[in-house]
Amino acid sequence: MVRGAYLVRVTGCVACHTDPQRKDAPFAGGRALKTPFGTFHTPNITPDRTRGIGAWSDADFHRALLDGRAPDGRPYYPAFPYTSYSGLSERDVRDIRAYLSTVPAVPRANRPHALSFPFNIRSLLVLWRWLYFDPVRFAADPQRSPEWNRGAYLVRHLGHCRNATAGAMRSARSIGTRSSPALRTARTGSKVPNITPDKADGIGRWSGVDITYFLKTGFLPDGDVAGGAMTEVIDQSTSHLTDADRAAIAAYLRSLPPRSGP
Amino acid sequence: MDEPENIIAYRQSVMKAISGHAGAIAAVAKGQVSFVDDVAAHARGIDAMSHLITQLFRKGTDNLEYADTRALPDIWQDWSRFETAAKDLQRESDKLVEVAEGGGDVAAIGAQLQNVGKACGSCHKPLRAEKN
Repeated sequence: MVRGAYLVRVTGCVACHTDPQRKDAPFAGGRALKTPFGTFHTPNITPDRTRGIGAWSDADFHRALLDGRAPDGRPYYPAFPYTSYSGLSERDVRDIRAYLSTVPAVPRANRPHALSFPFNIRSLLVLWRWLYFDPVRFAADPQRSPEWNRGAYLVRHLGHCRNATAGAMRSARSIGTRSSPALRTARTGSKVPNITPDKADGIGRWSGVDITYFLKTGFLPDGDVAGGAMTEVIDQSTSHLTDADRAAIAAYLRSLPPRSGP
Repeated sequence: MDEPENIIAYRQSVMKAISGHAGAIAAVAKGQVSFVDDVAAHARGIDAMSHLITQLFRKGTDNLEYADTRALPDIWQDWSRFETAAKDLQRESDKLVEVAEGGGDVAAIGAQLQNVGKACGSCHKPLRAEKN
């Protein structure tokens, strides 16, 4: 249970599925995500049996998180970062589900998304998925340290950092696994910085402790406090991580090949 | 005197003074340098600057009128929110002075600096435009 409570922070479940105006009803959804495609309204994931996910089987939950499909088989919009969650371990999925089944059920009805044409045509997601969704389970790299592997898992899957910054990080993988431009701005419409260790365009001049301190407090190395979407990620997620997990993220990011450009 | 462009540049100098002091304290908090005895002076700097902030945001000095600033017009549309955020910074930096002058250790300083950072972010997030 403690693991699950930690995981829903790291993953951002609690941040995204909670209406900022209704912090007393965590996981009940209703948060509006304004994007260039329209506004997404996050759904209720409390154990309420009709309005939440209380009636879901474990298999339904597993499929939603790792394959991005509702219990009736319809695909989710990738505003829900299942392209990252597809790499989660079975144990983490089980622990997240176990924790969510203990939170108070809230009978809040879901609000439909308000998307502009053609993004409101859900069947187009089938095409999007064919182009961009390539579920890959995380496999530890035995050539690397346990810390690096933990960092890779956190950045690519649990924390879905890679989902938001894929354009900037642009790992040298095939097109099938690269995030589409739509996905990169889908969640916030916010600009995403280059976080590869490039000295000019990325964070190559940051030390490991600069990265962990930023993730804990929001302070950039020059003493400025960033605004933008990352403020909330720090507040809701990374400031709650263990020091070891923040260090693992830093170790992984610093190991990436530097890429120039914004 | 007091042309909007000059006020914007002056305002940015004041903000840079704050981030300069915060960066110095952060270097102590991160364990990068040992100057823990200097923290109180930096904290007093932030505290003093925090009381200057609101008066530097004169109407008409937003980023729609001037390209050199990231100050969003929302500041003036909801002035009380902006004032509240500034007061938060005054309160938290005042506490940081107390912690540092009271001989607080690096951990205590770091914990209070985190609260100062939250106050900064609570204004930067809604009221400062992102960097281009």
